[in-house]
Order: sequence, then structure tokens, then C-alpha cells
Amino acid sequence: MKVLLKTLGFSLALTLLFTFVTYLLPQVEGEAPVEKVVDLSSLTMDDFIALGEDLFNTKGTCTLCHKPAPLGRAPDIQGMNTVALSNERLADERYQGEAKDAAGYILESMLDPSRYVVATWGKKGTNDSESPMPAIDKPPIELSAIEMDAIIAYLQAKDGNDVTVVLPSPEDAASVASTDKKASDATALPAPATTVEEALGKYACTACHAMDSSDTLVGPGLVDIGTRLSMEDIRQSIVDPNAVIAEGFAAAMPADFATKMTVKELDMIVAYLVEKK
Amino acid sequence: MNDKRPSNQPERPSTQIRWGRLLWFALSMLLLVSGLAQAAEQDTTLDRITPIGMVQATGEPLTTKTTPDIADVDTAEPIAAPRPSRSDYPDIGVSSRAIVWILAQLHLFFAALVLAVPLFVLTIELLGVYTGDDRYDNMAYEFMKISLTGFSITAIFGGSLALALFLLYPDFMGYMMHVFGAQVLVYAILFFLESFFLYTYYYGWNAFRYGNLKWVHLSLGLMLNAAGLTIMVVANSWATFMMAPSGVNEVGAVVGNIWEIMKGPLWNPINLHRFIANIAFGGAVVGAYAAFKFLSTTDPDKRAHYDWMGYTSNFIAILAFLPLPFAGYWLMAEIYAYSQQMGITAMGGILAWLFIVQAVLIGTILLAGNFYLWAGMSRTDGSDRYKGLIKYIAVTLVVCFLIWVTPHTLILSASEISLLGGSHHHILGPLGIMPAKNVAVNLMLVVTFLSFQLYRRSDKVATVSWAPMGNALMVAIYVVAIVNIIFLGVYYGYFTNTVYKVGSSVAQVASTLVVIIAGIVIDTLMFRNAKTLPSHWGRIPDRAQYALFALPIAFTWLMGLMGYVRSSVKTHWHVYTVMKDNSPDNFIPTIAYAGNMITIVTVLFLLCVLFMFWVANLSSTRQAKPAAGGAV
Amino acid sequence: MQTNDNNSVLSMLISIIVSFVIALTFFYGLDHLVMSMQGLPLNPDLSPAG
Repeated sequence: MKVLLKTLGFSLALTLLFTFVTYLLPQVEGEAPVEKVVDLSSLTMDDFIALGEDLFNTKGTCTLCHKPAPLGRAPDIQGMNTVALSNERLADERYQGEAKDAAGYILESMLDPSRYVVATWGKKGTNDSESPMPAIDKPPIELSAIEMDAIIAYLQAKDGNDVTVVLPSPEDAASVASTDKKASDATALPAPATTVEEALGKYACTACHAMDSSDTLVGPGLVDIGTRLSMEDIRQSIVDPNAVIAEGFAAAMPADFATKMTVKELDMIVAYLVEKK
Repeated sequence: MNDKRPSNQPERPSTQIRWGRLLWFALSMLLLVSGLAQAAEQDTTLDRITPIGMVQATGEPLTTKTTPDIADVDTAEPIAAPRPSRSDYPDIGVSSRAIVWILAQLHLFFAALVLAVPLFVLTIELLGVYTGDDRYDNMAYEFMKISLTGFSITAIFGGSLALALFLLYPDFMGYMMHVFGAQVLVYAILFFLESFFLYTYYYGWNAFRYGNLKWVHLSLGLMLNAAGLTIMVVANSWATFMMAPSGVNEVGAVVGNIWEIMKGPLWNPINLHRFIANIAFGGAVVGAYAAFKFLSTTDPDKRAHYDWMGYTSNFIAILAFLPLPFAGYWLMAEIYAYSQQMGITAMGGILAWLFIVQAVLIGTILLAGNFYLWAGMSRTDGSDRYKGLIKYIAVTLVVCFLIWVTPHTLILSASEISLLGGSHHHILGPLGIMPAKNVAVNLMLVVTFLSFQLYRRSDKVATVSWAPMGNALMVAIYVVAIVNIIFLGVYYGYFTNTVYKVGSSVAQVASTLVVIIAGIVIDTLMFRNAKTLPSHWGRIPDRAQYALFALPIAFTWLMGLMGYVRSSVKTHWHVYTVMKDNSPDNFIPTIAYAGNMITIVTVLFLLCVLFMFWVANLSSTRQAKPAAGGAV
Repeated sequence: MQTNDNNSVLSMLISIIVSFVIALTFFYGLDHLVMSMQGLPLNPDLSPAG
């Protein structure tokens, strides 16, 4: 019996030691991309707003940049009254867009971010004529029209403003379902980029990285990346951007390129970057 | 005809000797030929990794030719993989994944055990026949006896696992049943076969002990192993189908026959890897049994027996353990060839951290194995000659181990980076990268082999005339190999380009293999007709037995860990690229959560194994008839 | 006696030197072989060629 206790105790202690090692390592969860199937026929406005908030924080990846100073790299829209802010922008004499109201302004900013760039937030060297923000109806973010409406609804509702977007109707749902199907088929087998330029555009690399200067946009400029990193390091930085983060930068790069890029695209981009010396 | 070996039944008629052996021989050949025929059917790599979904080989144009066009598919009415929504997954209040995780892992632990034990039992039995040493036969029988309950435990956990899967993942299981169809019935039939051979093999042990009947018995053992291995490879095909589906199109509709579905690109790598790992695992577990019996008794005869049994088990475990890294390398290479993304998920993403835990576990196994060998040297009188080397081996092992577990990259916040002055630590950085780790791993293998070689030499004195030359050559090979391994790692790893860095690791492994092969060859030749010094089984410190406990614990934990990695590389897919996992548990949990789960299954396994051993010993215990007075 | 001792020391020394020469040559060749098999030729001083 004594032997049993001793050996059992030894075995348990060893097991706990191994468990302890796992506690020393960084605790990260790998979230699966969430595909929300929204039943539009029974959707209430509250659901719609909640959906918008969720999209804002997750799939839309908005919070990577739109967050409070000093971390933010774009206006902190969650911390401000977005509708009042939008009306201010519309009244700005620099505003050249076509939007007539706050909802229209927000939608325009999502579809064509460079249409109006808030002072001091433009890409470096463009004198606030170009926005670092990617168009969010395009890959890699690819929000649908309904999803963008949901975000607008959320941005309006969060500060107590009236929600002006209309709920998608079941008829819309039918049409959306068919386009969604097309879209999801497209994501199952997207046409792979054939050139580096296409690939860089497809994954919106240039939204955050300057390719022809060492200026910092959101991420570091990559004009001389080949001198700083080896091919392995570049590859790792793309597929697992949070493993090594360049000094002075926060973790902002999408971590799902590994599951989105085809092998060939990844190879093209890596080969292109490694030559940048 | 004229059996030269000492026989236990010398009076048996000589004409009858042959048929038993013939049966054995014919069966072995039959199995060998059918195995080779299967292997010969291998297609080219590109055919085997026929792309499904987005997967394609590097540099290849996107292949679409193999997928039949949609019109064809429609007329054939194939059933695509279901796309369940979250509400389609039954919610029973606790994590479904946790339940399946525990049941599957326990099932696999026991399956591995009961698959491996008959395998080396048969080998030991054969050894007994060829050496005529009854000790082997008795030990083989004892191994069989203590693992007998394991077969039912395996079946119980297997049944529970199937029930849990059908209950908790009905859509997924429905799809798997649809894909594999009648194959599951074949699987069921194999169970009947396995049970038949198991019980005849075990209960017939003493009835078919000598002469022709022994060969009948060996044939039964062979068939038992054949049935067991077939069960394993059939079950493996389900796991590998989930990782790398073949025989279905990109929406999961079945387009191939069952054979095309089974022989996916990862099937054979997994088959080999599991086969070898099972032997190591089984050896480690029965070693713990021997250690326990050794510690529980003071009878010198029993101690000698269980010391020998523990030594043999440990020998089996370590021997099977050494080629495992190479089988693992093949598996990983095939995973990369199948899908670079999957490979990166395993080796470069969140899961990469688990390989640090793996390093700790393998380090534990190597240290325990070495420690046991060193302690075992006290059995022989000739070991003093080598004892001085042990401390250097120990230091090398510990230093290499520490280099090996130095993390490569750290996920750091901006403030932590500025504290460290860069994302790589300026001292740890150079030690954390691959070349340093390659040097460390190879040196660990080399010195472990040195321990083993010293142990084997400790009870022998060479009598051949060229012994000094042989020793000098062996020393030279060790020294030059170690220098070469360090040189390759440092020079190509830090001072040349990446391609040479990767290439040099192959040369390092080659150096390690040369040491092992040269060691075996030289020792075999040199210790022919060697003078054997007396060996005292049972003369080993008690603390050495704890190494025999550390081994199975580390093996069990390691299996749990790597099984988790294997399963998790699918990320949010039930069947990779074909059927998405929309259950609430479709994310990769934190490392500590995984660690907790693995510890739970390890402890449960430990308890079940204790039960299994206890029951085995119960059968040989007989309660004394109570005295009439009732005094006990 | 003296010569005998010298002989055994000498033969010991020779066998050690011979062993090391064999081992060094072998591993030198092995490095060249393994690296060139992977398409990574080496110069005679083991530095990368080409």
C-alpha cells in the first residue's frame, strides 16, 4: 500500500509538472471565423444592432485601428457620437462626397474611405488625400450590404440616435441568400491572384504597409524588408503575424492570412518582399 | 528435423515437427505478401495528394481537372457534406468537445496498449522458442495476462465514444457513416476475429505450449496481431479522412470508392507513426507494472524476475521510441505536401507553442531512459569501467535539453518588446532558433545511444585481438560526429544562407545515424565470444524504478498532447475543406485548457490501468477458507 | 621490456591516429555527399559553393 501511494504520488506530481508547463506558455485562443446565418424574417432592430456591434468588433476588424488614443490609428468612432461627428464632417468644406446624411456618410466611408479623409488621419505623405483604410466590401474583410447596414445601425444606436437604416426584409433575404451563396462559393474557391500586384491588392497589404518607402502607415514600411528579414521570417510574419512583432508596433495585422492565401499567392508575396533590399 | 536447441519435450516424434512450423510460415508469408501487394499499389505523390477544395501543391496551377463538373454530380445525386448551423448541435450543458475528447483519448490509450502488447508478446514468445529459455515464455504470458482486461476496456470506451459522437455530433457522424458506409461493418467483423484469436491465444497458452502445438499457438498470435493491425489502419482512415479527405469532391459528395476514400495522403504516415508509437507506449506501460511489482516485494527471486521484466519493457519502449522522430518527420512532410496551410497551423501558429511542451516531455523520456540505464549498471561488476563517463553524459543531456526548450519566438505586447529590447531576446535569441535546437536534439540522441552502448558493454570484456583498435575507432567516431554536428549547426546555421541551414540538418541526422549504426556494428563484431561478467538481476536501487513510472506518464501525456495537435490542425473543420465545424467548440482552446484536459485523461488512464493490473492479480489470488471459529 | 612497452604505447598511438583520420575523412565525405545530394555543393573547405 505504501508503495502504491508513493508511486501514485510520483506519477501525479509528474503529471502536474507537465500541466504546469502549459500554464507558463502564452494563453491564446484560436477563434474560428464565425459565419452568422441571420434569419431575416424574424429579425428585430435590436438583433440587427447587436449584429452590427458584433461585426464591428470581430469580422469587420474595425477595432484594429478605430480605438482610443494612443493606440488608435484612426478616429475613435466607438468613443464618440458618430452621428454628430458625421454631420460635422458633412459640413466641412473639404467634404466632396455625395452623402446627404450621417448614415450615407458612414456607408460612403466604408465603401470608399479616401473620399473624405479626416484631417491628420491620412496616409503619410498624401496630405490627407488618401485614407489608409481598406474598402470593407472587398476582400479580405468583405462585408455584405446587410452587414454594413447593421454596422451603421449599431453606430447610430450606440449614442441614442435614431436608427435610419431599414431592417432588411424577408424579400431581401431571398436575394441576399442567393448572392450570399455566390459569395460563399467564391470564398470556397476564390480566383487566386496571378501577379504579385493582384495579390497585394487582394489582401489589402498596401492599406497598412508602404511598399515604396520606409514610412509607417499602420504597419512598418517594407521598402527594404529584404535586408531586415529572411525569407522564413517574412513568411512567418504573414502567416503568423503575432509571433514576432516589429519593435514599437502593436498586434494589428490580420492573423488569418494562413487560411486565406493560397500557397502560390503566399510564395509570390514572399518572393516579392525578400527581393526588396 | 533435427532440432539442435534444447527441447522441453525431447521425445516428440521428429516427423511431426514440420506441420506446425509450416502453418506459421505460410501465414507469415501470406500476411507479408498481402502487405507488400498493398504497398506496391502506391501511386505517385501528386496522385495521392489530389487537390480537394483549395489545397494544391506549391507552384502547381490550380487543378480542377479531377473534380467532375457539377452537371455530372447532379445526375448522380451525390450527397454533399451537411452544413449544420450552431443550433443543429445538441447542447447538453457541458462542452461536447470535452466529452468526446476524454472518451476518444481513453479509447486510443487502451487501443494503443492492447495493440502493442500482443505484438511484442509474440516477439518475446518467438525469442523463447529460439533460445529455448522458458523465462521468455513466462514473461510473454504474464504481459498477456496483465493486459487482458484492456481489450474489454478498449471496447467499452470505443462504444461510449461512438455513442457520444452520434449523440453530440449527429450531422457529422451521419456524414461519416454515409462516406464510409459498409466499411464500418467490416470493422465490426474484425472485432469478432480479434476476440476469437485473443481468447484462443491467451487461454490456449499452456495447452499449446510445446512442439507443433507451440507453432499453432504462434500462428494464433500472428492472426491476433493481423486482426489488431487491420482494425487500427481501418480506424486510422477515419482520422486521416477528416484531416485530408480523398475520394470526395470539394463539397464532400462521394466520388470515389471506399479504397480511394481510405488511402488519403496522410493514411500511411499515420499508420506507421501510430504503429511505432504504440509499441513504445505499450512497453512503457508494462514496464511500470514490473516496477510496481519490484517495489512491492522483498523476495530476491521475484525482484530478479521483475527487474528483468522492467528492463525488457524499457528496452522495448526506448527502442521503438528512437525511430519515432523520423516517422513524425514523414508525417509532417506529408502534411505540408498536402496543405502548406495545415502545416503552418501546426508548426507556426498557436499550436507551435505545444511543441515546447513536447520538448519537455521528450526530454523527460530521454532523461528517465538514461537514468534507468545508468542505475542498471549496478547489476554488473564490469560497469565501474564506464561510470566516470556518466556525469559528462548527464551534463550534456541537461544543457541540450535546456537549449531545446528555449522558446523561439514570443508573443509580446509593445511594452514587453521595449523592455526586452527587441522581439528576440539578445542572449536567448541565438539559442532559440532552429540550428541550435538541431544541434541539441542530435547530441541528445548521440549521448543516449552512448548510455545504451555503455550499458550493453558493462557486463562484457572483449576478447578479440583488435579490441583496442575497435575502441579507438569508436571513440574517434563519437568525437568527430559530435564535432561535426556542432560544426554543421553553427557554421551553416549562423554564417551561411537559409538553404544551407536547412540542408545541414539532414547532414546532422546522418551523422547521428552513422554513430548508431557504427556502434551497433563495432560492438556486435567486437563482443563476439566475449567474456561475460556476472550479472545480478534485482541488484538495482529502488529509485531507478521511478524512471519506469516517469516513462509511461510522459508517454501518455505526450500521446495526449500530440493527438490533440493532430486533431486541432483541422481548426474549424470537421472534415478539412469539406465540412465546417459550427459547434460552439470550434475554436482552438488555450494551451492551459488543453493541458488540463490532457492531465485529466492521463489521470483517468492511470486509474483504469491500475484497475486492469489489480484485476489481473486478482485471478491468481485465492482466499483461504475461513477457519471454523470465524477468526480471520 | 622497455621496447615492449614502447611498442604498445606506439601501437596505441598509431591506432588512435589512424582511427581519427578514418573518422575525419569519413565525416568530411559524408558532409559533402549529403549536402550535394540535396543540390547544395560544397567547396573543399566546406563553404557553400555556387
